[in-house]
Amino acid sequence: MTALSDINLQIPKGELVSIVGPSGSGKSTLLNLIGGLDRPTAGMITLDGQRLDGLADDGLTAVRRDKLGFIFQFFNLLPSLSCLENVALPLHLRGWPRKKIEERARELIGLVKLDTRLDHLPDELSGGERQRVAIARALSVYPPILLADEPTGNLDTQTGIDILNLIRDLHATLGSTVLIVTHDMSVASTCQRTITIRDGQIVDDRKH
Amino acid sequence: MRLLTLISWPYLRKHAVRSLLTVVGIVLGVAVFVAMHTANQAVFFAFARTVDKIAGAAQLQITAGEGGFPEEVLEAVQNVPEIGVAVPVIEAPAGTHVAGQGNILILGVDMTGDRSLRDYDFESGDDAVVDDPLVFLAQPDSIIITKEFAARNRLAVGDKLTLSTMAGDKAFTVRGIMRSGGLTSAFGGNLAVMDIYAAQLVFGRGRHFDRIDLKLKEGVTVETGRAVLKKALGVGFDVEPPSARGQQLESTLAVYAISMNISSVFALFIGMFIIYNSFSIAVTQRRSEIGILRALGAPRHQIRNLFLVESAVTGLLGSIAGIGLGIIGARAMVGTISSMLEGIYGVAERAEEVSADPRLLGGALAIGVLTSMMAAWLPARSASRVDPVQALQKGKSQVLTAGENRARRLTAAGFTAGAVLCLFIGTSVWFYAGYVLVIVAALLLVPTAALWFARGIRPVLKWLRPVEGSLAADSLIQSPRRTSGAVAALMLSLGQVIGLGGVGRESYNSIVDWLDTALNPDLFVAGSQNLSDRTFRFPNSLGKDISSIEGVDDVQSVRSLRMNVRGTPVLLIVIEMAGFEQRGHRTMVSQDRRGMYALAKAGQGVIVSDNFARLQRMALGDTVDLASPGGLVSLPIVGIVADWSDQQGSVFLDRSVYEERWKDQSANVFRVYVKPGIDPQTVRQRLLEHLSPSQPRLLVLTNREVRDWVLQLTGQWLQLTYSQVFIAVIVAILGIVNTLTVSIIDRKRELGVLRAVGGFRRQIRQTVWMEAVAIGLVGLALGLLFGAGNLYFLLQITGRDLSGMYLPYRFPFDLAVMLFPTILAAALFSAFWPAESAVRTSLVEALEYE
Repeated sequence: MTALSDINLQIPKGELVSIVGPSGSGKSTLLNLIGGLDRPTAGMITLDGQRLDGLADDGLTAVRRDKLGFIFQFFNLLPSLSCLENVALPLHLRGWPRKKIEERARELIGLVKLDTRLDHLPDELSGGERQRVAIARALSVYPPILLADEPTGNLDTQTGIDILNLIRDLHATLGSTVLIVTHDMSVASTCQRTITIRDGQIVDDRKH
Repeated sequence: MRLLTLISWPYLRKHAVRSLLTVVGIVLGVAVFVAMHTANQAVFFAFARTVDKIAGAAQLQITAGEGGFPEEVLEAVQNVPEIGVAVPVIEAPAGTHVAGQGNILILGVDMTGDRSLRDYDFESGDDAVVDDPLVFLAQPDSIIITKEFAARNRLAVGDKLTLSTMAGDKAFTVRGIMRSGGLTSAFGGNLAVMDIYAAQLVFGRGRHFDRIDLKLKEGVTVETGRAVLKKALGVGFDVEPPSARGQQLESTLAVYAISMNISSVFALFIGMFIIYNSFSIAVTQRRSEIGILRALGAPRHQIRNLFLVESAVTGLLGSIAGIGLGIIGARAMVGTISSMLEGIYGVAERAEEVSADPRLLGGALAIGVLTSMMAAWLPARSASRVDPVQALQKGKSQVLTAGENRARRLTAAGFTAGAVLCLFIGTSVWFYAGYVLVIVAALLLVPTAALWFARGIRPVLKWLRPVEGSLAADSLIQSPRRTSGAVAALMLSLGQVIGLGGVGRESYNSIVDWLDTALNPDLFVAGSQNLSDRTFRFPNSLGKDISSIEGVDDVQSVRSLRMNVRGTPVLLIVIEMAGFEQRGHRTMVSQDRRGMYALAKAGQGVIVSDNFARLQRMALGDTVDLASPGGLVSLPIVGIVADWSDQQGSVFLDRSVYEERWKDQSANVFRVYVKPGIDPQTVRQRLLEHLSPSQPRLLVLTNREVRDWVLQLTGQWLQLTYSQVFIAVIVAILGIVNTLTVSIIDRKRELGVLRAVGGFRRQIRQTVWMEAVAIGLVGLALGLLFGAGNLYFLLQITGRDLSGMYLPYRFPFDLAVMLFPTILAAALFSAFWPAESAVRTSLVEALEYE
């Protein structure tokens, strides 16, 4: 079975892009390939001038570590770590000094307005709050690219709008390239560009 | 059953490695149980069969301990009207000098009457010689061997066979070969028959017999015959059916059985926790599957039964494999047990005669299945309580149970109080009940204690590796249901290691201490390297010859023989009390030293070993009844000393009393003290030169040689203990592998996230390794604590029911220190495969994992 074929896509730096399509269309697979979580069987992926398709596992990890931030539908926070520890996780993996990690994590928690929830565990937070922590974690290492897979898919409408606004604000402030995979057209309409995928192929690519 | 094939089988097949690990817990528990009991039963049955074969048609046997009795007793027995046939017997092992053949049992019989009791079915031989006892008697070098022995050594009628006897190496002429079957199959054919009067000569029996075998007249019952003979002979004689000879073996095996029973119970307990662990995780993982089944109309009891049947099948498979492994293990153990029991006959029973008892195997199967089902009961109940609505909600992460339960802690406290009460009452049944209660209480406290320890080590692990360390500790803290099973298994096995190791170490130290103080002669003159070998005897007058050798300062003769006291075969050690007082240096347990020896020297009492006093529940002043050919010798206990001569206990009697009442002037061993400043080796050489011509069977051993032999023997027992330790550690490793395998699956998404946000493979590996180390550390901490308690109980059991020796409580710190690297290395080894599995999981799959 071919998940994606004849995909020819270029995303300029600093763009806010949405990828839409029905379930099983291949949009998450495309995001996974761009994010180095999966490998293409054929073709070429270049990120910031660096080819991903030929990289070994550690090379891909290094790309994810230095250039990418992930936001998932089900948040994927580590349940045993506090908000602060979850945000600090990528920084620890990079071997930052402890003091610097603490400062950066607190700054990010402040950025997503969860200063009062620093030591709370994910189980003690609402869905929206968990997604904020996930966003803060994704931003922790100043990634030039932010990848979000259905970031509002597991949230109620109002919380979803709040999260989307937060992502847009951060995009405006930080100038990162942001890719949002969604099946919700109202989410897609807030982005600068929308790419539509169906049956593994791009059927539409338009700027708003 | 349909659900089992539809639902369970695909799951078990998908998780084949884990299913296998789950089964292994039961395999080992059942294997230890089967191996130990099969080996014990096999040796016992083989022994009983051998006794039966040797006894032939004899209905009763008359003995008077190992000392035998004068020839005149035979006449007295033959004069009893109820007796049909009464024939004398001498049994003595003799060395064959053939590699791999060991000793051969020589049966000295009176050919004129013996053939009415035993069937000597000759295959070949000079009929004129064999059939005519008088001709056989006229040739004292005659010997009849079995077909098996003849075939193994390529012997034929007329050939010469050299055997080690009391009179030195002696060449016998094979006069006949017995056909296979019956008597000849005893000891795998290592049996030979010779004339009893020739046997008296070559085996130093003087004018004594070892035994009389007899058949009663038609119509006389065994009970009647026994009563009549007891009356006629007096209390110094034992009149028993041949089957009663297994008693000594039974008591020797009982000691071994108790320690092995404890080990197999521990192994089953550990297996139980591995199964509990696996099923708990299976329920968590199959939550959505259970939810679907419930949504489709499966009632709660059907879900519970599904898991229980799975556990029964697991138990059944584990038990079958365990039985197979156990029988293989039994074959290996039989060799060791047989060689340890060789002293009873002097000839080893052969391992190929091992067979398993179907009832035992059935019992093992039932134990394996029931243990497995008991372990799965709680997880099965949890499965039946899964809420289908919650279970089918996508994206819900696993509900993490606190694993802390006040009721459980209270129950543990109750059990602990119960245990204290049981120990306070103190009788045997209550003591063992208290032991079990302590184990159960410790197990109930495992989740709480493991949680405390995990919280305690989290800062350390976090400090070492902020991400990997925290996640490793959190894995333990957040999923107590997953980790407590492995920690409990580890705690039990390490507790057993500490307990058994501590007892072993203390026993060894005590024996060394005893060797240093009591076994202090410079040289030993004996008939065998084994000083406890009582089959070779020398005239006591040989002591005078030894004293006359230049350089010899003092000589003490020792005659030891096994004797029934209150139904237990204890060791009677006949010594010259004066010399014993001067040189013995036994550690006093009770009574003043001077008074004790004065009374014993005057023949007014016996000195007993402390294990004898404890096992027989006897104290100073109590009377010990010793059966002698001259009647019952009843003497009070005048002193109790520390002594390791025999695990059933020893009674020290002055030689003057023995010679007078037993009419025996022989000795097994001479303890020789060399004059100060003279090299014992020089004296040894002189002794050999002087004594060998008259006593070719004699050996002169140095103190070092005897010490080495005793320590080697002790080492054999310790080795058996350490083999149990090995099993315990293996089971613990399996527990960790199982837990980590499950943990990896359980934390699939967590580890995927770690990689997604930039964690390298080596960092994932480190997380898994640190989790293994964390489990190891928590298990070690609890295991050492539990071991400290377990050691107390095992020391008590040793004192109460095993050797009767109360050993001092000393925690084996060096063993504990050694366990740290061992267990941590085992933990890292256990983590290797799970860690590799963790880094090879597809990232996309991991992030989508529910």
